[in-house]
Amino acid sequence: MLHLGGSWRLPHLRALDGELAALREPLQEALAGPTGLVIDGSALQDIDTAAALLLLGALQEALADTRALSLQGFDERHARIVEVVRGRLADTAAGPAPRLMNMVAHFGQAFVGLGSLLHGHVEFLGRVLFALWRLALNPRTLRVHELFAQLGQVGVNAVPVVALVTFLIGVVMAYMLGIQAEKYGANIFVVDGVALGMTREFSPLIVATIMAGRSGAAFTAQLGTMKLTEETDAIRTLGLDPMQVLVLPRVLALAITLPLLVFVGNLAGIVGAMGMSSATLDITPQTFIERLHVALAPRHYVIGLAKAPVFALFIAVIGCRMGMSVSRDTRSIGINTTSTVVQGIVAVILLDAIFAVIFQELGL
Amino acid sequence: MTADDDVVIDVSGLATRFGTQTVHQDLDLQVRRGELVALIGGSGTGKSVLLREILGLQRPSAGSIRLLGTDMWNADAPALAATRKRFGMMFQEGALFSSLTVAANVATPLLEHTDTPPEFLPRLVNLRLSLAGLSPEVGGKMPAQLSGGMKKRAAIARALALEPEVLFLDEPTSGLDPITARAFDQLLAFLNSDLGLTVLVVTHDLDTLLSIARRIVVLGQGKVLADGTAEQVMQVDDPWIQSYFASRRAAPDASATATRSIADGT
Repeated sequence: MLHLGGSWRLPHLRALDGELAALREPLQEALAGPTGLVIDGSALQDIDTAAALLLLGALQEALADTRALSLQGFDERHARIVEVVRGRLADTAAGPAPRLMNMVAHFGQAFVGLGSLLHGHVEFLGRVLFALWRLALNPRTLRVHELFAQLGQVGVNAVPVVALVTFLIGVVMAYMLGIQAEKYGANIFVVDGVALGMTREFSPLIVATIMAGRSGAAFTAQLGTMKLTEETDAIRTLGLDPMQVLVLPRVLALAITLPLLVFVGNLAGIVGAMGMSSATLDITPQTFIERLHVALAPRHYVIGLAKAPVFALFIAVIGCRMGMSVSRDTRSIGINTTSTVVQGIVAVILLDAIFAVIFQELGL
Repeated sequence: MTADDDVVIDVSGLATRFGTQTVHQDLDLQVRRGELVALIGGSGTGKSVLLREILGLQRPSAGSIRLLGTDMWNADAPALAATRKRFGMMFQEGALFSSLTVAANVATPLLEHTDTPPEFLPRLVNLRLSLAGLSPEVGGKMPAQLSGGMKKRAAIARALALEPEVLFLDEPTSGLDPITARAFDQLLAFLNSDLGLTVLVVTHDLDTLLSIARRIVVLGQGKVLADGTAEQVMQVDDPWIQSYFASRRAAPDASATATRSIADGT
């Protein structure tokens, strides 16, 4: 006979668990006895399903067939709760604990994941290029309205932040170069350094990085949300192609605006350097511009601008693809957006390094 | 137990205004322990707003709301926190934490608010899933992998985690097929009768009303338009109530059966 008393409720589970553990041996003896075990609940104040489960689970562990237990003196409500739990006891048996992956498995999974990610990117890039080719064959399928909307968002609205950042970079470059150049009385060469560095490397790289964070993330979030709310599916069922309606306008918008923004960046950076030079290096704006004509060969400028559409293509393709591959939960939008920004920046820097090697080999 | 102690939800003189728009005016509602109450009303009558105000999520413009004896809008933080452990809420789309598995979702309140022995936790989680009509395997899945009905069941399992005395549900059967929806009704009836939970359910589902709700509260024009059993409510002379139930009378057979079973008290 097991007498229950007091309040058998969720907040007291740990204490109850301890008491049941202490009773383990007498319980086993009682269960082995000829009369079996009778549970008396007449002194019970309250019992809830959690505590009932704890009790029945402990008895089950002590080898009792819980179906053969008899209840005695239980309040009607308490008996009902115990019966509800008893009927579901089999369902509560804990399954095997989830296997923890070791480091090697994690590493392998990450590696395979990276492989399939890149594979997906290449495939998506192929589909974008194919769609672009079809667009070239049939230009009337271009979504002009969406393209202009994107040009506004991706391009025009980005001008202030691009101009501000590159202006500041120009100021810093002129200042840092100036400190060194002044020691040798070579102030004027600051113009060479800033003009070359800004137009060929810094402006494209910085503007592309900003756009990877700004537009790449926006593409992923936009397309991901549309995927989640089944808008992309609606587009498909209406006989339209999400690639044409959503992806191409974004890719084209970024490919068109990124070179223009790099141009804005070049101007802002040079203006910043010019201001700094006239303030600290005694180079008047007039001298600065005259030197600029001599120092800045057009090819540097063109190389800088030429890199921009390639950066744009990769940023847009990564952004759109990560958006289109959002799964059905809200969490994956966050994960994919983060991933887009990281991938975009890595892609831009990697491409820039490849360009640097190529142009070096070509002697440009 | 005094009569006052028996009243679980006590709304009195409630008013809610958004700018110039009045949603509730002088609304009174009392729910007693062990009742299963369905809250209905046309769209824009403030059913969900009322629910949010009772739960302490949205501040009413005037009036008082007592839930389990706690004044939800004047109580101090510890009293409010204690009350929050005594009721459960199922949101319309489940509102499961999408970054956690279903089992982790159910375990969250247990880990936060109780001293449950860790080795016992999986069993308790499985019991909660089972009470909500889910098998233990579902616990290992992510919310995104579940169908709409299973999400709602998982949300109920989470709401049941802390052995609540009151269960609130917002549109539990919306978006479910009729068979799943009826199974849901049975689940609510079971929780109400076998576990003794007080249930307040906001619904549009006539079948839910006719089959399990022993008390129906109709909101309209800012207050309670009608309150009583299905038959009593149907007698109320109000155009919205009449057209609401008339939509069902078009199918006479089903309505007759359902009404009769209510009258029989089965």
